[in-house]
Amino acid sequence: MVGLSVGEKRFIQGGIAQDLRSDGRKRLTYRPIYVETGVIPQANGSARVKMGATDVIACVKAELGRPSPLQPDKGKVAIFVDCSPTAEPTFEGRGAEELSAELSVALQRCLLGGRSGAGAGIDLSSLVITEGKVCWDLYIDGLVVSSDGNLLDALGAAIMAALSNTGIPRVLVAASASPDEEPEVDISDEEYLQFDTSGVPVIVTLTKVGRHYIVDATSEEESQMSSAVSISINRQGHICGLTKRGGAGLDPSIIVDMISVAKHVSEQLMNKLDSEISAAEADEDEL
Amino acid sequence: MTTKHSAVPTTYSPSPTSRSKPSVSKDSIVDWVRPDGRGYRQCRPAFFRTGAVNAASGSAYAEFGNTKVIVSVFGPRESKKAMMYSDVGRLNCNVGFTTFATPIRGQGSDHKEFSSLLHKALEGAIILETFPKTTVDVFALVLESGGSDLPVIISCASVALADAGIMMYDLVAAVSMSCLGKNLVIDPITEEESYQDGSLMITCMPSRYEVTQLTVIGEWSTPEINEAMELCLDACSKLAEIMRSSLKEVVSGSQE
Amino acid sequence: MEFVNPEGLRLDGRRAMEMRQLRAQIGAVSKADGSAVFEMGNTKVIAAVYGPREVQNRSQQMSDQALVRCEYSMANFSTGDRMRKPKGDRRSTELSLVIRQTMEACILTHLMPHSQIDIFVQVLQADGGTRSACINAATLALADAGIPMRDLVTSCSAGYLNNTSLLDLNYVEDSAGGPDVTVGILPTLDKVTLLQMDAKLPMDIFENVMQLAIEGCKAVANYIREVLQENTKQLEVRRGV
Repeated sequence: MVGLSVGEKRFIQGGIAQDLRSDGRKRLTYRPIYVETGVIPQANGSARVKMGATDVIACVKAELGRPSPLQPDKGKVAIFVDCSPTAEPTFEGRGAEELSAELSVALQRCLLGGRSGAGAGIDLSSLVITEGKVCWDLYIDGLVVSSDGNLLDALGAAIMAALSNTGIPRVLVAASASPDEEPEVDISDEEYLQFDTSGVPVIVTLTKVGRHYIVDATSEEESQMSSAVSISINRQGHICGLTKRGGAGLDPSIIVDMISVAKHVSEQLMNKLDSEISAAEADEDEL
Repeated sequence: MTTKHSAVPTTYSPSPTSRSKPSVSKDSIVDWVRPDGRGYRQCRPAFFRTGAVNAASGSAYAEFGNTKVIVSVFGPRESKKAMMYSDVGRLNCNVGFTTFATPIRGQGSDHKEFSSLLHKALEGAIILETFPKTTVDVFALVLESGGSDLPVIISCASVALADAGIMMYDLVAAVSMSCLGKNLVIDPITEEESYQDGSLMITCMPSRYEVTQLTVIGEWSTPEINEAMELCLDACSKLAEIMRSSLKEVVSGSQE
Repeated sequence: MEFVNPEGLRLDGRRAMEMRQLRAQIGAVSKADGSAVFEMGNTKVIAAVYGPREVQNRSQQMSDQALVRCEYSMANFSTGDRMRKPKGDRRSTELSLVIRQTMEACILTHLMPHSQIDIFVQVLQADGGTRSACINAATLALADAGIPMRDLVTSCSAGYLNNTSLLDLNYVEDSAGGPDVTVGILPTLDKVTLLQMDAKLPMDIFENVMQLAIEGCKAVANYIREVLQENTKQLEVRRGV
């Protein structure tokens, strides 16, 4: 919990109203984003994203599994988020369960698309090895190491970076004698397929404080919010998911306005992330 | 249900394409017939009845087609001792499924997020300042899951809250919409939900024209979202009328 | 299975008495009062310290000393096979206790009555020796938080496989089932604060292995001291002293 005095609250609200926030940013400016890839060598892909004092790690692990009988031509993706007590002492024990569940659900909604798999940021059909028999199960784990607001955007960015860092081993399937038999698979140690991340959306959270909304709110600013809308937008400018947080009601026209602002912001964020991710990958290759 | 069906309009649907904006999906070929024979813009008949649970301070039963939900509201009652002092009231929501709610026994439990979504949808409507230091518990039980469960739970919970006499700014009505290919269908049933490419749910307070919760899943373009939002908001205000009349009916009935 | 080849090299190419590469960084969690990342080879641990602060649970407050609490958690992706473990399983409860007791022994708790110090350790990657890495990370984080301590506790493990004493076991060597001795020492006071061993070991060999682990602890202590001094120098520069 953030404990703020009346004066501090006024200061934050007044700054936002005048388009000059307490850390000198404008309403629609992000904090500097720092991306590091390959932080967990044991995983197929991993990345760490820092936005100011918010620090998250995302990690992708691929395991062989069976596709679900309802969708035999698609692989499976699961997203879990965990909040480490290092980020906030209140996350100790079961203290973070609610927040973790909320973040996991919001990310699933933003990245995995509809029930039929349409509109998913991750191309599920590329994960199939043999239809109805073998597919890749992608486990995406997010870990919040340090929290200073805007966790959802940071996690979304980290997952995007981790996915572009992910190499999935090439799998050779031995032609099985009968169609009923389990196919034999041979996982290659050398050949990796680069994961296609062109469809992965970015998440932009607009936090409404007073009459204005801001991006990339710090936890102090979040404590003053009346409501927040998280919108995930892909490269085509299409909306892939939307979640509203915070209790207060919003006029529908404001939501429509927020969507158009988020669209505009997402283009900048996408470009920024692209350059950061490629820089991080280049750094990693040098090592 | 053994109750008199009064003159209350039980079905409702948003005004079809009467708006100035042309419908995005108007030109699309009608390649989908809804399993229950409804039109794309036609909602299932809605039925509400308050006072379903005697022990609760307020309760409501809702039936939308095959979706049947009971919500009971307890409180405001004293918060647990371990909770810290709070000068506004607390809201505690829990959504449960009966083991027979779904075709396969015990499969309804994978909706853990429903409780928090219900909480968020109602939080903005309740005047929490009116009951400091106390907690209101909202327990929803899905008797039968027939699609659009969450919107039904939310609408039913707001009727139950009104029945319990909890101060609210307005009734909360919720409507969801599914995107199947190019078609937008309102108030989808389970079968439609399992094929949906995307979905949108709005909960709003119609008299105040405020959205308390909005979730969108799947890929949507902005005009599609705008159209879906407009349809849902229109349906919400009509649904709220039904909810309101079901509450009025009880009062006028008791006076007779 | 052969853990040491005839040339005296281990599975990961180290010699018997060689440690894995150490790497430490102070101040990984900016919101915490003190924090550090500690790496021993592939094992990577983050520790964060909050406090001394007001006691959260009044009934645990002590009038003569500070309350030290510790929670150990493992990230889902930390092990080779991905597992979703429930929080507070037996292993992490035990580890939390071990870390708490070890740190409590070196913190000057009597200087901070009516207060509480929280140590949170998060394993990002586990490759053997997590216990030692957690203690080392916690020491660094406590020092970063400026909490008064008797000494810098450091920890290291050693084992005995293929008739050879091995320093700083990795996951493969650890899971071979041989004896594994984890030692924590106060290096300048030359005292042992933690000693754990599983499996059996003859007395004379045990002394040998333990001595090896103590040497390892001292090496870690030297490294930690260097890191802290470097960190202090940087702080000095920033303050313009």
